[in-house]
Amino acid sequence: MSIKLGTGDLAKYPFLNEASDYIRETHFDFGEFNRPEMRHIIDRAAERIEVEVSSGTIYEKLDKYEIEILTFLVALMMAKSMGVEPILKKHSLFEAMRAEKFLTEDLKKEKNEQKKRLLLFKIFGELFKVKVDIDYEDNRLFKVKVTDYLIRASHFHEQEWKLINRLVHKGYVYLDADETVRLIRSELSALIYNRIKSMALSTLPETIKAKVDDLRPKLVSNYEYRIHKVTDYPPCIEHALKVMNNGENLPHSARLMLATYMLAIGKSVDEVAVLFHNAPDYNEKVTRYQVEHLAGIRGSHVKYSVPSCEKLRNENLCFATEKCNGITNPIQFGRKLEKRYD
Amino acid sequence: MISTKSAEKSTTLVRSAFREYYFKYSKIIEVPERIEEREFGYRQFGSGGMFRHLEFRNIGELLATLIKDVPSDVYCSNAYYRFPTYIMQEKQWTGADLIFDIDAKDLHLPCELTHSYFVCANCGNVQKDRSELCPSCKTGKLNHISLICNKCNYALKKEVKHLIEMLMYDLGIMEKSIQVYFSGNNGYHIHISDNEFRPLDSPARSDIVGYLMGNDMMVESIGVRKAFDGFLIKFPKSGMLYGWRKRIAEKLGIDQSSIVKSSNIVQQKGGYNGFKTELVKVTKDIGVRIDPQVTMDIHRVFRMAGSLNSKSGLTKMRCNDMESFDPLNDACLLADREINVEIKAPVKLKLKGQSFNISKQTARLPVYAAVYLTCKGLAEVN
Repeated sequence: MSIKLGTGDLAKYPFLNEASDYIRETHFDFGEFNRPEMRHIIDRAAERIEVEVSSGTIYEKLDKYEIEILTFLVALMMAKSMGVEPILKKHSLFEAMRAEKFLTEDLKKEKNEQKKRLLLFKIFGELFKVKVDIDYEDNRLFKVKVTDYLIRASHFHEQEWKLINRLVHKGYVYLDADETVRLIRSELSALIYNRIKSMALSTLPETIKAKVDDLRPKLVSNYEYRIHKVTDYPPCIEHALKVMNNGENLPHSARLMLATYMLAIGKSVDEVAVLFHNAPDYNEKVTRYQVEHLAGIRGSHVKYSVPSCEKLRNENLCFATEKCNGITNPIQFGRKLEKRYD
Repeated sequence: MISTKSAEKSTTLVRSAFREYYFKYSKIIEVPERIEEREFGYRQFGSGGMFRHLEFRNIGELLATLIKDVPSDVYCSNAYYRFPTYIMQEKQWTGADLIFDIDAKDLHLPCELTHSYFVCANCGNVQKDRSELCPSCKTGKLNHISLICNKCNYALKKEVKHLIEMLMYDLGIMEKSIQVYFSGNNGYHIHISDNEFRPLDSPARSDIVGYLMGNDMMVESIGVRKAFDGFLIKFPKSGMLYGWRKRIAEKLGIDQSSIVKSSNIVQQKGGYNGFKTELVKVTKDIGVRIDPQVTMDIHRVFRMAGSLNSKSGLTKMRCNDMESFDPLNDACLLADREINVEIKAPVKLKLKGQSFNISKQTARLPVYAAVYLTCKGLAEVN
């Protein structure tokens, strides 16, 4: 007998293709969101975003699948319509972590191996092309190909994720449920992020629009404040800018620091590229390509983070002053300073 | 200063021997898989830099260049690119073979100093002892030159076997996907042709390197955890039956069925911190000694299989049978005819089955031995 996903699964994993099929099959029209009985869903979606973005916690409530699928959809629409990148990213991440929580529980509690395999196939296999098997000697363990593991875990910072700290045998890495699910967090987050990005929202139902207008001031102000408040550059960046302005050569690692920092505080690719004009080896085409790469517009489409203070210290790029006290990344410089002088 | 005339004559000797080789042994040059997606590079005799970002669409084009230009060294990328001739940022990397380098210098063998020489980069003077500056011209920096002996070769092969064992039993790489090459100088290159590993980026390869070398193993992964009053034993859920955990458990006598026994072992090593220090030592001891940079670099150009190494005049040669492979015989393919060379330091070596014990200043040697010593900086043509 073949096993299918149940409606409970769609409630927990509303990003699955089957959940989209449900919306399609019910011929749901966006205009229906203006009906009074939809208010509950819109309120839930707003609450979900608020919990995730303001409190930085997972929204744990779980209702019937009809409610959850629509709540998920409305929350995506709301995040999109706010038009603030950090909100969009945070929502995507916390939605991924919510699914991660449910999936871990399912993999631990589900007694039916066929059902477990189906979940693994639907989420790991179909969405991310990762094959996960249940260990035949101990069904609490899962095995993933060593290459699938490395592609993901080599970007995690904790030492426990280094391959040497895993049980590795004949090309497979053996993991428990929590670890297996953690492997795909960033991909799941990216999947949700891309869903939001690719949504076409020409007209937003009035009820949702009104809710977004309520929510926006509570959430957006945090981020706008952060983006525009950076006027004092940290000393490492000031030093790099000074070297650049003098037309001296700046090492590759310092250029990376400068560009990622400027992108992180909201400068455009054009604004960042122009900073390197004075470099002795300046080449407009190459510079633009590299900045676009760092901005996540090219290549792996992953935006590069600003290197940590620790990394900069190791590379002799740190020129810390007392104003730097307590920061672990140059990007925190303005913010910490602001708080202390408030 | 090294006499320009002598340097020119020496280069002419090596270059003509290389040309003869490429003409005679063109079939040894291995055509890399997906040749049109590879970047090639080569060095020319007498010029320091490398010509990179080249492409060859087929082996014919490549051989024609080798015979015409007679490069001192020929390289091919481990990476596959959409546009191999473009500048690095625009090549569009699509993957890279996984490659390991095991070099005698990284094994720190006791025999090394017995066949080491120090050659002055300025005047060419050779001496047996290490010093900051050349005692002869007082200005030149000394380059460390090492010959390879049977003991080195034995130790290198042992290390290669150890690597292959871990690649197969831990990482699941099939034996047929592993090709071993003598590097043409003092080591071995291990090439992995497995599609699964090609897309791995540099951090992923760095993790493989760490795994193979035994870096950063946590005591927690073999069940030793820090506790308020010292340590406690809690074995990992995934067990310790395979891989590094098994190696360490066997080496230190840790038994997953006995917490008491493991506790005693940790206690004997000095508790949590003492055991941690011990683990670093043991993992370093068991790990494979590979050159980490070589494996982590996904844009590197590697010496081409079948080409000559200008540091020795020996061939980068595929080893089909590791047990019987003798680099100083099997990779020594230059001509047998004899020529006169000036010897800069007394030297003993065995090449192509023939032993040489040279103590005179001038010696008449077969081309392969003359080239070997010239490439090492231990001989010159006058």
